[in-house]
Amino acid sequence: MGHSSSDSDLRLSRRAITRRNLVRAAGLGTAGLALGGLASGPGAAASPLGRGAGFPRRSQDGDSLVFLSTQLRPVEEAEKMRGTILADFEGEVEFIAEDTGPFNDRIAAEAEAGEGSVGVIGGQHGDFASFAQDGLLTDLSDLATELQDRGFVEQYLELGRYGGEVLNYIPWMQATYVMVANREALEYLPDGVDEAALQTSLTYDQLATWAGNVNEAEGQKLGFPAGEDGLLHRFLQGYGYPSFTGGVNTTFQNDDAVAMWEWFAGAWEFVNPQALSYNNMDEPLLSGEVWIAWDHTARLIGALRERPDDLIAFPAPRGPKGLGYMPVVAGLAIPKSAPDPEAARSLIEYLTRPEVQATTLREVAFFPTTAGELPGDLPEGVQAEAAAVLQTSASEDALQSLLPVGLGDQGGAYNKVFRDAFQSIVLDGNDVREVLTEQAANLQSVLDAAQAACWLPDPEGEGVCQVG
Amino acid sequence: MSGAVEARPVVAAPRTDIAPTAARQARARRHKIGRALLHVAAVALALWVLFPIYLITITAFSPRDVVYDYPKRVIPNQFSAETMDFFVNSTGVLGALWNSVVVAVTTLVLSTLIGAPAGYALARFAFRGRDAYRLMVLSTRAFPIVILSIPLAVSFIDWGIYDTVWSVALMHTALAMPFTILITSSIFLGVPKDLEEAALTLGCTPLTAFVRVVLPLALPGLAAASIFTFVLSWNEVFAAVILTLRERTLPALVLSALNESPAPFRFAAAWFMMAPSLVIIFVIRRYLLGLWGRVSR
Repeated sequence: MGHSSSDSDLRLSRRAITRRNLVRAAGLGTAGLALGGLASGPGAAASPLGRGAGFPRRSQDGDSLVFLSTQLRPVEEAEKMRGTILADFEGEVEFIAEDTGPFNDRIAAEAEAGEGSVGVIGGQHGDFASFAQDGLLTDLSDLATELQDRGFVEQYLELGRYGGEVLNYIPWMQATYVMVANREALEYLPDGVDEAALQTSLTYDQLATWAGNVNEAEGQKLGFPAGEDGLLHRFLQGYGYPSFTGGVNTTFQNDDAVAMWEWFAGAWEFVNPQALSYNNMDEPLLSGEVWIAWDHTARLIGALRERPDDLIAFPAPRGPKGLGYMPVVAGLAIPKSAPDPEAARSLIEYLTRPEVQATTLREVAFFPTTAGELPGDLPEGVQAEAAAVLQTSASEDALQSLLPVGLGDQGGAYNKVFRDAFQSIVLDGNDVREVLTEQAANLQSVLDAAQAACWLPDPEGEGVCQVG
Repeated sequence: MSGAVEARPVVAAPRTDIAPTAARQARARRHKIGRALLHVAAVALALWVLFPIYLITITAFSPRDVVYDYPKRVIPNQFSAETMDFFVNSTGVLGALWNSVVVAVTTLVLSTLIGAPAGYALARFAFRGRDAYRLMVLSTRAFPIVILSIPLAVSFIDWGIYDTVWSVALMHTALAMPFTILITSSIFLGVPKDLEEAALTLGCTPLTAFVRVVLPLALPGLAAASIFTFVLSWNEVFAAVILTLRERTLPALVLSALNESPAPFRFAAAWFMMAPSLVIIFVIRRYLLGLWGRVSR
């Protein structure tokens, strides 16, 4: 009896819910349909095939110049680009930042369709490599001649030719890699190193000793961006290898290279284990997980801006062969599918003006690619970073490396060789020589596949670069 | 004899009474323990989901320097709308929010209008190749959309709807279609055919039988399915990124910038992306059960 009554209660209440649901859902459904009707109505009426048909936000299609960039993606930087850097441009320009993946697909798709909406593209040297190879970019040689008074660094213009005649991009801005430390780490500096010496004479051995001292007292506080999107491979290519061996590809497996890897494996003992998840070093520095870090200037500036009083910036250390460092160049290019090439050229002219380059440095901490002095009114964090960058290139033993040149679509494979060697030697603890012999073969096949000649700091020459 | 007969129940009665009581007590105890464990599990599960949401929310409304504090405060001592304000007022966020709503609603309407009749056909009619058709519908989901990106963009440029909300809505409709067709067919299967046939014998045409009998019964399920479509479109990134440039939807706009943005903005954006989904789920949670055909009972 009790059973059957509770059962029928259940059934009753279930039915009640069902009925109530029905009513509500019907209301909801109608509202949804009505809303949908409203939204799709005007669009459908104004021919859904018209571009941007019936859409209120857009004024008129094709009015403004689209400037698509893989650089300055972080929201704050993009806002500064729109609000400050581009503020005085005579025309109307829309700055859109995008990941490299969709960026590549979009430019390729617009080229294939023969009709584009992107006017100017901004990106790193490597971002343009495949476009240059496929001939998707306008030759800007004449624009470079017109803008001769800007004083572009000649090496950078050479880079933009990708070994050919066509100038694919105009140098836009540059960055490099420096180190940043928390002031609390300074009391653990090894004997004979003070804050001034950090700027001028720090060596890799001293760095390891320093991190070891910190480790004894506070734990593993050294940091490298070894995460998936981190730039650790650039540390190896532009800092570790050149500083210890004086080259990269031609010295890949010699005795000096073995010494470098041994140094790195030793120093890794003092690296925060979280480093394998670090892509940018600014956040671990801000949170205090890391006290001493190496990274790209753009990936450190957030920390320096936030806490200029607690953090110091200084050049990367030097090794037996000098202070290896790697400038990173970003350029501006015009796709052949650009809707308004004239407007695109005037935007490039604008962005390379000395005063605009100065504003770019002040606002987003990317350095000018043109001659001229740095502005004096820099924010504290940018000032600290700028000093470290200038200190780097002004060092007597500075040894400049270029970003890999002429690798085309082999860029990723090239970086993988270095990441794999790092994984095998430093993380898995395998024999250095064995790993280097194995990876040297991989490296050679990458260079062969790309038919790439050697680039700085290796001796430049004709023919495919030979791994040594 | 009769005494003996009467005596037996007297003796037996307490025995039969004692046994069930003990059993019932044991059962009740086990039941209590079971319920307690269930509650603990439910609370643990709820915390597992709610704690990150809570952290995101308080961090999104904290001043910038507090975001980097470690260890994090569980109970915030100061609030600030500074990062939220910056995020909402960044170029394109409000426009992208509007675009997202337009795309999601258009997708919902289109996929219901196209998918529901297909689902009805699958549920009601036995036709040659029905199983093959069902499988084919499903197999479009197994196709990796990533390799389609360039051809898609090229086609949309050729058709002149590249970089519009309509292109994204069309794409999302295509993506949502298998889901809509299969779910609606199971919903229509849950509506007894007898009712429809009864309506036909009582003077309805097939159309009026559908509109007056089947549709009202299927509506809760349809509503739930279409709201799933809404959420699917709301969260879709890949097609939205490749098909738009200036007319970004919110996820397309935010996700490209998020990876390299400082922590305060990530929290602000995460909260901003999460809140609408939460609201929608709160609104529809009671209809969700309708998906499994409860309407037919």
